[in-house]
Formats: sequence, structure tokens, C-alpha cells
Amino acid sequence: MNIKLNQFLWAVALNLITMSCSETEPERPLGEYETGILIMNEGAFGSNDGEVYHFDPITGELKADIFEVENQRPFAGLLEDVVLHEERLYLVANSGKVEIVNAGDFRSLGAVSGDLDQPRSIAVVGKKLFISDYGPYDSDFNTPASYIAVVDGLNGGVVKTKIPVSSKPEDLFAYGKYVFVAGSDKGKVEIIDTEKEIIYKTLEVPGRPIQFFEMRGDLWLYSIGANGIFFQSFHLDNFTKKTQTGYPIPDATGRIAFGNEDLIYISTSSGWPDYNDAISKFSLYDSRLDINYLSGTGIYGIGYDKNNDNLLLAFSKGFQGNGEVVIYDENATVQKTLTVGRGPSGFFFY
Amino acid sequence: MSLLLWIGMFFGFQPQSQDTVALAQVDVYAPALDRFAQGQKVENYSKSILSEYSGRSLGDLLQETSPIFIRQYGPSMLATPSFRGTSGGHTAIFWNGLPINSPSLGQSDLSIYPVQAFDKVQAQFGSSGALFGNEAIGGSIHLGSQSDFDQGLQLNINQQFGSFGMRNTGLSVGFSSQKVSLQSKFYSFKIQNDFPFRDLGQPETPMVNQDHAAVKQTGFVQDFAWNLKPNQQIKASYWWSRADREIQPVMGSTGRDEQEDENHRMVLDYFFFGENSTLNLKTGFVLDRQLFNRSSNDTDQYFLSGDWDKTFNEKWSVKTGVRYTRAVGNLSTYQATDTRLELYQSLRFLPSEKVSLSVNFRELAYQGGGIPISPSLGMDWKLRNASPLSIILKTSLGRGFKVPTLNDRFWEPVGNPDLLPEESWSGEIGLHFSREGQFSWTTSVTYYRMEVDNWIIWLPKGNVWSPENLREVQNQGLEYLGNLSRSHGPWNFSASWSYTWSKAIITEGLGESDQAIGKQLPYTPEHQANGRIEVSHAGLSVFVGTFYVGERRVTSDGGRSMLSYQLFNLGLNYENFHWGQVKIPLRFQVNNLFNTEYQVLYLRPMPGRSYQLSFSIQL
Repeated sequence: MNIKLNQFLWAVALNLITMSCSETEPERPLGEYETGILIMNEGAFGSNDGEVYHFDPITGELKADIFEVENQRPFAGLLEDVVLHEERLYLVANSGKVEIVNAGDFRSLGAVSGDLDQPRSIAVVGKKLFISDYGPYDSDFNTPASYIAVVDGLNGGVVKTKIPVSSKPEDLFAYGKYVFVAGSDKGKVEIIDTEKEIIYKTLEVPGRPIQFFEMRGDLWLYSIGANGIFFQSFHLDNFTKKTQTGYPIPDATGRIAFGNEDLIYISTSSGWPDYNDAISKFSLYDSRLDINYLSGTGIYGIGYDKNNDNLLLAFSKGFQGNGEVVIYDENATVQKTLTVGRGPSGFFFY
Repeated sequence: MSLLLWIGMFFGFQPQSQDTVALAQVDVYAPALDRFAQGQKVENYSKSILSEYSGRSLGDLLQETSPIFIRQYGPSMLATPSFRGTSGGHTAIFWNGLPINSPSLGQSDLSIYPVQAFDKVQAQFGSSGALFGNEAIGGSIHLGSQSDFDQGLQLNINQQFGSFGMRNTGLSVGFSSQKVSLQSKFYSFKIQNDFPFRDLGQPETPMVNQDHAAVKQTGFVQDFAWNLKPNQQIKASYWWSRADREIQPVMGSTGRDEQEDENHRMVLDYFFFGENSTLNLKTGFVLDRQLFNRSSNDTDQYFLSGDWDKTFNEKWSVKTGVRYTRAVGNLSTYQATDTRLELYQSLRFLPSEKVSLSVNFRELAYQGGGIPISPSLGMDWKLRNASPLSIILKTSLGRGFKVPTLNDRFWEPVGNPDLLPEESWSGEIGLHFSREGQFSWTTSVTYYRMEVDNWIIWLPKGNVWSPENLREVQNQGLEYLGNLSRSHGPWNFSASWSYTWSKAIITEGLGESDQAIGKQLPYTPEHQANGRIEVSHAGLSVFVGTFYVGERRVTSDGGRSMLSYQLFNLGLNYENFHWGQVKIPLRFQVNNLFNTEYQVLYLRPMPGRSYQLSFSIQL
């Protein structure tokens, strides 16, 4: 989830250029939780015990359950995604809500808690929230009624409308008045006009689209195919394909992290029944490729701390109790192991 | 007549007299649960308690009156028993001698077992695979009908109204002669369950009304018994039940799941009473139909068994038998069948008037594996048997086992056909005191220790979950139970209480670095207690009951714990209201008297204070 901040900064930069925004904001002191690393603990299905931990890599201090500590109530959800927009942090729970907190002190500002099914991610455009949602399962555990929920107001509220999209929308990316939707089930990218609240354009892409990210000024999409992974960039003037590349890395899980020097890390798993997990490392711009950079079992999340050049892996430990985060230095040597909450799944880096 | 006399002789009962009037007291035959269960703790629930809980579930009854912890996902939602720190799948449940746990899940939902469907409820504690077979690791629950011969016509109509839209209607009608006994029971239970609770999943934690937990249950039980000949009896029972439930979502979720359960259970017994012996042939089926949202999960179980119980003399008794089971699973995720064959033997030896010993064995084979021999050994030793005080030392050692469920083995694609059966060893020792007289009391204290190996847990593997034999758990604890009663003229006073200390420690887990090792199992309270006081006078009685559940961890190694809670119930009964020949008992009850906010499981709200008014019409 480290890319969310990148997305935000990049989108702001693009907006600054394209919309000639000249406003300047007074600097404000950073809050207690606006530095370091936020560790997302997804929680266990049926328990809704997702939470956020805060880790300061400088002091080594780990603070547990910061949502509950600051709000005197549990998060009560399965934490799927964390997205920063200005001073607000959006905590997306795929159990059916979005909690909105002040990024500095983690105090609750509001929530979107009604009329959502399985929200996956969120994007903010103007004063509107756009929430990707799988929708309800049908009898065959398919999700044919997926949608993007629209909410007026940065502090949440009720769902104003739902824009139907292809099944299982995942990541969102806001660009100008448009929101890109990664339609993971049907291999589509749907671009939503946020003013008209309709699908403006649909693009067919290879594999299952998982996540958008910015690199060297381009918008990229990470997708998973049957026997490899794909990366596609977009022309942002006419929303067409710019470039496409692929790697013969099988069994990618959808977890991705972005390191320094344009390095990309993804996790793979051989799946049932052997479950051999690994981390692959490569670059989109040169021939660097190390398919088995690291290996292990039970890898559930991945992140990269660019400030300290550390790779972080999250281990769910079977969701039976506390999970674990292992921090590796640039030589893939273990630097530190943290005991964290249930089902650690990702990170947010300031 | 000879049959009735034989039963009396065989089990040591003394008929009050030999005339025809005395025969009216004879029950339809049912093998005694504890005949070969020396050294084991067995709790029997009285008819008065069952009547008091007639509008509630078996889960409620056990939670509020026994050392058993019920893991409850909300009122009238999934409720599974935890005996001595074990899981719901470690409890064998029988209805009229037929094992009724789901073969796909390996457990039962006690919230859809209404107390009014049963005439008798017994709970046996500790591993007893030899006596009761599969899943009797933590203990076993025995439910059943108890009809009589020669009782004429009997009618009982019960109507209850309660808070949160609760309506319960029960109808029982029976007729019996010396030859034939018929009993029909019908029940219908509805509750809107729109209770207020503090929603911790929303900003400001507002009080909201539960809007998705409505439940509707209907059922029908038919019992039949026929004295074929003086030495032969046929007995049959059929139980149909249906439950339609909105599944209460966990706080913070917007789930709108719905579940329908429909069950058909049928048992047919033939008894042949020989010279100091009984031959019992039994057959039956259990058909479970479950629809979760639109996903169907159907299982069928068919049983055929026979056993022979012989008392050779005053000292020696034996029982030997065989049971064949065929389970068929037709679920949305797989189709599978399983066939099981069990052989069991029991021996009881009374070396003296004070000591009785029993030894039991069971062997089980199933498709894909087997349990070679599960033994148990028990002793009852009457340390003192002089009136009015008696003291019995009970001790036993036994093995339990659990065959991996159909889901464990056959779920596509992650079922693990190589799973081993879960196994346990359990031992206990206890002292039971009882005093008869105007001021009578009983009390017992039991220490137990148990080890469960090859504990199956489902673990996420990539995008799927798969079962493995990973965990080993060591349980030990203390159970202290007691009750007393005293009469003083028209006044009667009674009290009962229990306290349980349960330590269930994980000794092996997900590798040596598993932080759960050495910690208490999740959702297993270390301390649990209940108590009840009742005073009655001239048909009017008042009772106060309370139960306490100690702190429970959500995960073994996590910091999150559920707060302990103590609830009080208050009841007022009047038994002497008549309308002509018709008896109309009235009852008013307040549950959760002090409106305590509590959750049994994390973020699963439970109702506050509720009221219940009931009246019966008895002919």
C-alpha cells in the first residue's frame, strides 16, 4: 500500500501542472502518526479485528491498535486498504465500511458505513469519494453486481449512487476529473467521469488488473496473467495504451512494492498444495531480474521503506493470532522482526 | 407384566406394588447412559429445569446451568459447546442414542435445538470414545424422548410471549395404554431479535437496534412405543425441525446472510429382553438440509447397529455391539461418501458392594483410516454409604477421538485426505458427597486432565484455506458443583451452584516459534460459575439465577481479550392456578436483569434485559 502516497503526490503534481494551481498551503506540524510506517493488519474473517500499528524505524517503537487507542472503540472491520488524501486517511474495510481519520492523530472524522458490500479501495476527487466495491456474492460466489460507490463529502456519509463496473474492481487512481478502475475479474480498466458519474471509457488489458502506480512520470498498471505478469502504461491525453511489457514470473499474488532505483518487488506463491512463497525483484527499465530474491512461506504482505532502503515482508501466521513483520536490509539480511496484529497485509510509508 | 417386572429386576428397581396400578409408573425402555460409565461425571437435567427453559435453546440451558461454555455468535445464532476447553467439534451429541452431529461440520448448532423438543437432557464430561464413539473428546450430550405406558391421555399447551418480538407455542399430546404409547410434540418459535445494542463499529458508538437477526423455528416430534410381547418392545421417534434465520452480522459488517436449516431424524429400536439380558437392534437416519444464502449443503447419515447387554450375576455385566454408519455429503463444494464400522465392548465388575469398575473398548474403521482401540477405565468407590451421608470417589481414564469431517477431507480443492484423526487422553478424579433428609444436599468436586493431539485447524494457504493436523493442547481444570434443598412446613428452599476452572494450553502449534504455545486457547474462559436460589410456598415460587463467564482471549497470543460478564435472571412461577380440571401454570421471567452489555464472542452483540411471560394448559 506504499504506492498510495506516491499516487497522491503524483496526482497532486500533475494537477499542479495541468490545472495551473497556484495556491500555497501554510505548513503545519506533522502529527504523531504522520511519520514512519503504518502497518495494516487485515484481521480475521468473521472477527473483524483488523487494526493499524505504527512503527517508527528510527526509534524502533511499535504502537499497537492505534485506531482503538485513539478512538476508544475497535476498528471493527477487515482492513483492506489505506489511502491518504491531504490530512485525511481513509481506512477501507472489505467487511463493509470506510473509516476516515485524521492522519496526524488517528481520531475519527467520519465513516461510510451503510450500503457498501465489499469495498476494496478509495479515490478522492474534489469533494467526492469513489469506493470500489465487489458487491454481493451470488449463489456461485461470483460478484456480477460490482460497483463504484459515490459519496459526497470528504468525511464520509451515505452512498449517493453506485456506478456499475465489471466484476471485482480493485485499485483506483484519480487523475483530474477521472478515476481509473482496475477491473480484476474481466481484464478491464474502466475510466469514470467523476462529474457525470458514468463510465467514460473502457480499456481491455491483459491479465487481471491489480494495481496502478506511477514511475518516471507515467501511469502504470500491474496485472497478473496465467503464466506471467504484465505492466502497461497509458497515454493520459487520450487514455490509450502507451507501452506494455511482461515477465515470465508465475504464481504472482498481487502484492507489489516499489523500491529505490525503480526496482519493483512482487510476491509469488506456488499455491495449494505446496505453498512455496517467494519475492521477485526486477526493473521495468533494464534487465535486472531476480525471480527468487527471497523465499519463505506465509508471505501475506510486502512493502519497501525507501527512506531506509528496507524491504518489509508481512507473515499472517495462519491468522491464528499475531502476525509478524520481518525487515530486510538491501542485502536481504534480516534486520528486525516485529510482532504485529492479526493478518498483516500491507504498509503505508510516509 | 413380565416385561415390567423384568426391567425392574434387571436394573434393581423395586416396583411399589405388584398390582396393576403400580405399572403406570413404568417408562418406555431406554438403556441407562451411565451403566458402564463408572468414574465419569454425568449431569442429568430435571423436568422442572427443562420446563423452565422450554422456550429457549439447549445452548441457553447449558450456558446458564452447567460448567459447559457455549460459544455463541448472537442470540439464536450459531452456538457450539466447549467442554473442558475443547471445541464444538469435540462434543458428541446423541438424540435417542443416534449421533446427530453434522458429518460435514463435525458439530451441532445448539441454538436450533429447542429444549421443548426433549424430555431428557444429560451431559457427560471427559473423553469417552470407548463408550460414545466419534467426537466424544471433551464430552457428550444425550437428548431424547421419555414417554410412558399406561398414562391415558395427556395434553400440554404452552404459550410464551417475550421481548424483541418473541412468540413461542408448544403443544404436547400423548396417549398410552399398557401396550402402546404415543406422544406428539409441536413447537413454533419466532423472534424478531430487534434488541438495542451499542454499535462499536460506528463513530460515536451509537445505540442501534439489531435489524438482521430474526429467527423462525418450527418442529415436530413423534414418539411411538409398542410392547410387542411381554419380552419384546419396539420404540420409534421422528423429529422434523426447520429454522430460518437472518444471520446477525458482526459489528462493522453489513452482511445480510440468511440460513435455512431443515432436519429429519428418525430412530427405530427393537428390544428383546432375555434372561438378564437385552438385545437392542437400532436403525435410523439423520438428514440435514442447509441453505446458506443460495448455497446448499446437504448431508445424509444412515445407521444400523445392534448390541447385547448381559448381566451374568451380581458382579459381572457385559455389553457388546456393532454400528454401521454411512454418511453422504452433497454440498455445493463437493460430493463425498464415508462408511464407518464400529465395534464396542463394555465390561462392568462389582467386586464388592462399595466398588464398581468398568472397562470399555471401541474400534472404528472409516474410509481412509481407522482408530485401532480406544479404551476407557473407570471406578466408583463408595467411601461411605451410611444414611444420611454418602461419599463416592469417582475416577476414570479414557481415550477419545475425532474422525476428520467430510469438509476436512473432501472440500474441493483443499480438503486433506491424509488428515489423521484427532486423539485425546483424559483422566479425572472426583469426590461426590450427598446427604439425604429434610435438609438434603449434594456436592462434587472433580479434577481433570486431558491432552488432545493432531488437533485439526484450517490455515490460509495463498488464496485458499486448508486443514492440517497441527495443534496439540493440554487441558486441566477443576469442576465444583453442588445443590441443596430444605423444606420447612409449606416452605421449600433450594439452591444450586457450580464453578469451573479450566486451563487449556496450546503445547504445539505452527512451529516452534508459534507465540501461541503456552497460552490459553482462544475463547476459553479460565473461570466460569453459575448459581441459583429458589424459594417456593403454596405453588408460588421465586428464583434468582446468575452465571459468570470469565475473560476470554480472542486469539491465544494477541492482546485483545473479551471482558468477563455476569448476568442475572429472575423468575416468578405460580403452579396452582386451575380452571376446573385444567391446570394453568403461569410463569414470568426477566433475563439479564441488570441490562448488562456483553458479548460472548468479539463484536457479536447480545441482548440486554428481556421479559418473558408464559402460561400452560395441562390436562
